[in-house]
Amino acid sequence: MSEFVYTAVVSILQLLVVLLLAPLATGIIRKTKARLQNRRGASVVQPYYDLTKLFKKEVVLPSTASWIFRFTPYIVFGSTLAIALLVPTIATPVPFHWIGDIITVIYLFAVGRFFVALAGLDTGTAFGGLGSSREMSLASIIEPAMMLAVFTVAVTAGSTDLSIIVSRLSFTPVSIIHPSHLLAFVGLFIVTIAETGRIPVDNPATHLELTMIHEAMILEYSGRYLACIEWASQMKLFVFMALIANMFMPLGIATSFSFVALAIGLGAFIVKVSILAILVALVESSNAKLRLFRVPELLMVAFVLSLLALILYFIIGS
Amino acid sequence: MLDLPSLQFMAFHLLVGGYVLAILIAPLRDRKPFSRTNTSEGNTSQQSFLFVRYFGFGAALLASLSGLFLSMSVLTTGSALHLDLQQTLPFGSLSINVDPLAAFFLGVISLLGAVVSVYSFGYSGEYAGRKNLSLLVVLYNLFLLSMSIVVIAGNAVLFLIVWELMSLTTFFLINYEHEQRASRKAAILYIVMTHIGTAFLIVMFLLLAGTAHSFDFQSFRNSSAQLPSSIKTLIFFCALIGFGIKSGVVPFHIWLPEAHPAAPSNVSALMSGVMIKTGIYGMVRVYFDFLAPGPAWWGIVVLAVAVASAVLGVLYALMEHDLKRLLAFHSIENIGIILMGVGAAMIFMSYGNMPLATVALIAGLYHVLNHAMFKGLLFLGAGSVVSATHTRNIEELGGLVKKLPWTSAFFLIGALAISALPPLNGFVSEWLTFQALLLGFNISDLSVRVAIPIAVALLALTGALAAACFVKAFGITFLGLPRSSHAEHAHEPPRSMLVPMGVLAFACILLGVFPGSMISILTPVTTFLLGGSASALEVLNLGSLTIPQSGAGGVSPLTLVIFLVALTVLPLVLGLLLGGKLQKRAAMVWACGLEKVEPRMQYTATGFSKPIRMIFSNIFHATHEIEISEAASPFFKQQLRYELETESVFEKYFYEPMRSGVVAAAKFIRRIQTGHLQSYLLYMFIALILLLMFAR
Amino acid sequence: MFDAQSINLSLEILAVAILVTAFLIVSSRSLLFYVRLFSVQSFLLGLVAVVVATGFGEFHILVAAVLTIGVKAIAIPYVLNKIIDRIKVHKEIEFNLNITTSLLVCGLLVILADSVGKPIIDAQVMHALPVSKVLPESIAMMMIGLFIMLARKQAVSQIVGLLTLENGLFLSGLSITYGMPLIVEIGIFFDILVAALILGVFVFRINETFDTVSVDTLRRLKD
Repeated sequence: MSEFVYTAVVSILQLLVVLLLAPLATGIIRKTKARLQNRRGASVVQPYYDLTKLFKKEVVLPSTASWIFRFTPYIVFGSTLAIALLVPTIATPVPFHWIGDIITVIYLFAVGRFFVALAGLDTGTAFGGLGSSREMSLASIIEPAMMLAVFTVAVTAGSTDLSIIVSRLSFTPVSIIHPSHLLAFVGLFIVTIAETGRIPVDNPATHLELTMIHEAMILEYSGRYLACIEWASQMKLFVFMALIANMFMPLGIATSFSFVALAIGLGAFIVKVSILAILVALVESSNAKLRLFRVPELLMVAFVLSLLALILYFIIGS
Repeated sequence: MLDLPSLQFMAFHLLVGGYVLAILIAPLRDRKPFSRTNTSEGNTSQQSFLFVRYFGFGAALLASLSGLFLSMSVLTTGSALHLDLQQTLPFGSLSINVDPLAAFFLGVISLLGAVVSVYSFGYSGEYAGRKNLSLLVVLYNLFLLSMSIVVIAGNAVLFLIVWELMSLTTFFLINYEHEQRASRKAAILYIVMTHIGTAFLIVMFLLLAGTAHSFDFQSFRNSSAQLPSSIKTLIFFCALIGFGIKSGVVPFHIWLPEAHPAAPSNVSALMSGVMIKTGIYGMVRVYFDFLAPGPAWWGIVVLAVAVASAVLGVLYALMEHDLKRLLAFHSIENIGIILMGVGAAMIFMSYGNMPLATVALIAGLYHVLNHAMFKGLLFLGAGSVVSATHTRNIEELGGLVKKLPWTSAFFLIGALAISALPPLNGFVSEWLTFQALLLGFNISDLSVRVAIPIAVALLALTGALAAACFVKAFGITFLGLPRSSHAEHAHEPPRSMLVPMGVLAFACILLGVFPGSMISILTPVTTFLLGGSASALEVLNLGSLTIPQSGAGGVSPLTLVIFLVALTVLPLVLGLLLGGKLQKRAAMVWACGLEKVEPRMQYTATGFSKPIRMIFSNIFHATHEIEISEAASPFFKQQLRYELETESVFEKYFYEPMRSGVVAAAKFIRRIQTGHLQSYLLYMFIALILLLMFAR
Repeated sequence: MFDAQSINLSLEILAVAILVTAFLIVSSRSLLFYVRLFSVQSFLLGLVAVVVATGFGEFHILVAAVLTIGVKAIAIPYVLNKIIDRIKVHKEIEFNLNITTSLLVCGLLVILADSVGKPIIDAQVMHALPVSKVLPESIAMMMIGLFIMLARKQAVSQIVGLLTLENGLFLSGLSITYGMPLIVEIGIFFDILVAALILGVFVFRINETFDTVSVDTLRRLKD
């Protein structure tokens, strides 16, 4: 019985944390950026208002689009939320950790990306194709870099299962301090910036055709569809931050099922994610957007560093 | 009584008999059975065409189904079928031996063969009155027959005979549309390459037979322990080159992207789906059955070849905008992924770590099956597109999702599967390959520890690039607006072509969602090759896979699908709660200020792959040329010509010098061909004297 | 006092951080950024020296640490910044090898250094000093420094390459013998300082004469 309660409570908490806190993280980033630019900025809860408003609005469908365009928002939302079930946020192990390991998580991200890129081409406009071409090209370096960085930690913990990685590392926090983890961390941070479309790789706040990447693909989305996609990308950023937070600083995460432990876990998690959000905002504010063809060079740094992390770990060992 | 051996015996005879019957009977109704074109008199036409079509492909269907039965019976019951065809040949008995390994490959060939035979009913309608169908039927059946026997041959001589038969029928099939120059060129290139391969294979078998004193596979197996290691190494390389040419690994891949698109689409599906796998079969047979265990560096060499094939295959595929060539390059990539599993298994085996080797070998073999399914599906889809639009150039396509709804849905499933996206079958085998490679952490040798992370990195790169390539292939072909009138007036193909695609798409889903049950069928194969040790891979209930040795990393595709569906519904519910029923309105997209969106405004396939061309410019050496002709004003260009060329590194730096070297050597040797009778006599005289001197 | 293991760990992490700065140098094309990164790198190197000095009680290295931070992290970057200001060249535009390839090559260099260094450490050819674990990183640094000099054309990048190489040398010195005798160390520092100054003057002169600081033009000197 308690097994069932644990499964239900933690899974629902897990989903709710990602669903409900993801817009907050985006709000924090925007607020911090505004403050750094000497603006007051919108309130940190503004993303929630945006989403509810978008959910109520009518959808304008491009007349050229097919069913792929209409299905994509739901697929993206669903696949991102499925990842939320697999990545530990406030407690570990998550009850459904056996569904998929870190490789599954990375390929679930790829599912969402694949469909958004198709939707970009589906509209039949130049911008859509431009966005999907750029997104898929950059992803071809981002994805392996991410995989290698995460594998480095996975090999340390001796498992590809995220919950087991986090559990093991939270019991022996010293094993996280390893030279190759520094490399993996730098790699994963660059990947996070790139994958979630942040400056200096992409600018989430612009619709200028020369620089758009992610925004160009979803240019034709509106209303509820746009809400799904926006929410999904906020969750994606959130999940990435959760990954970094719990893999490299697993302190505080709940490892037992009790109210106190979960509360501590939630508190620690919010603190960690807020720190990361502010870090992302700092990077965004202190860098200029790179030219598109300079971006692969930055991503290559992430790729090479992550590769070195894995090789160093393989060669040096623990 | 119908006991198992006699059932298997019957199945074998049905398998051979079905194909042979079709080969013999199909041409009978034709006056000129082997003329290449058949635009001839009306009386041979309609009726005999239908007869040939139904009988020829029907017999193939029956034969391949019985092949499937035979294979499943061996794999599930574990009792192998062994037949001696003839006792009196000088090279020993020509025997058939359906052991688990052979059965697995026979099963893959037969499964895809059956599906493609159904597809061929519909597809061959395209050749009505245009080409000689009997010829296609004969070659098609001969092709399937020879492929089936290649994998179940138990004797080197029989193996080489059917191997050659397979090569020759493929040559004629590539040449089937011989009025196109590209087909003829591709066929010649293929026959040259494949014969170089066969030469290496003959050397290999002779080396093996030298110690075994017999051409029987059984004797190879028994005598391999007596082979000196230098001979073993030689055999290793002969097999790598000989079988590598057939399976199209880099750098022996150059025939593949020419030959696969040139053949009729049903045949390309078979070539890409299963024929190149006979090369994999050969390698597994030699490395795991005859020579096992080899040193670890063999595994590293195979891994290196595999990685090169995977990365270069997908990179070249990205530059293609011929749909079938694109798919052909992806075959190179997938052969690379298969060989990564095989190479890792060889490394683990050489360290005696059989549980890990089992995981790696299962990864490779499961990808053999999966690749047959989704690549078959994609080639059949491409065939439907080609027969609907009469072009393979995706720059002229677009918008087909509305004209060919079923074809595009099936093609999408194939594209998702080959991009290794969950929960389809490509994901499962790629997941297994990743796990197998990561298990290399258990090996403490330094070179292995450097090689494994690099292989992991490049496998990850390959997966991501394949996804990019199939966004391009699917997006440009099926989405957006039609780019030409061909694409605008396309129609869905007949049901006999749609059903096979549906079957393969279903197989892709099934193999992805229930990997556990399919992998348990592979267990006899790994037990046969690696001994009955426990596998490091555990199949749990609900078909989830777990690898205890990597800290219980696991995946459960079935549950994943359930959650994916449930969570995809969630936004629908949320939408209803937050905003009521969805209000929709169709509108024209913004066309940058012009009246309406034109197909020419869309991104092209060339444009799509531009960023990748820039990122990997060191590999492509792309050169482009832009020519703009202006009319009156420089602001309104009249015409713009853009020409792009990417360079094939191997053709330029490997094959071209080799070819010119061979030509130069031939020219040099031609000098001794003087034409005078006396000089030939002189040669003989000198040879005789030398022999007398040295060969006393 | 800290135990040997945690000192070791912090040394390794610092060494890897130094390696990351080297990679960032390879990945960037802004000369000012090179110099800033070099300064960070030298600072980290100084920290390594401090850790070695305090952790193993070899206090003479503290002098080297102070010198490293003073000379390499502050003085030389200052001089280089001045030069960049004077010659008004802020970007590296042409490369002998593009950045993506350079990064991959550097990655391979690190792998090579590791596979060369690992057996030396394992075989304990040297006295098993705990510091010697950073030997692979130091070899990698030397090779990357040399590689920067090969791949880049700007004179300033040549200087940064040379200095990176020298940092690698210092690190390897630390790792093998807890640093060279103090007098040698000081000598090297002044050498480097003077070399940087002289090279700076050269760059300035080259710029005056040829209107460019690409070392390609130096080929013309032989005529």
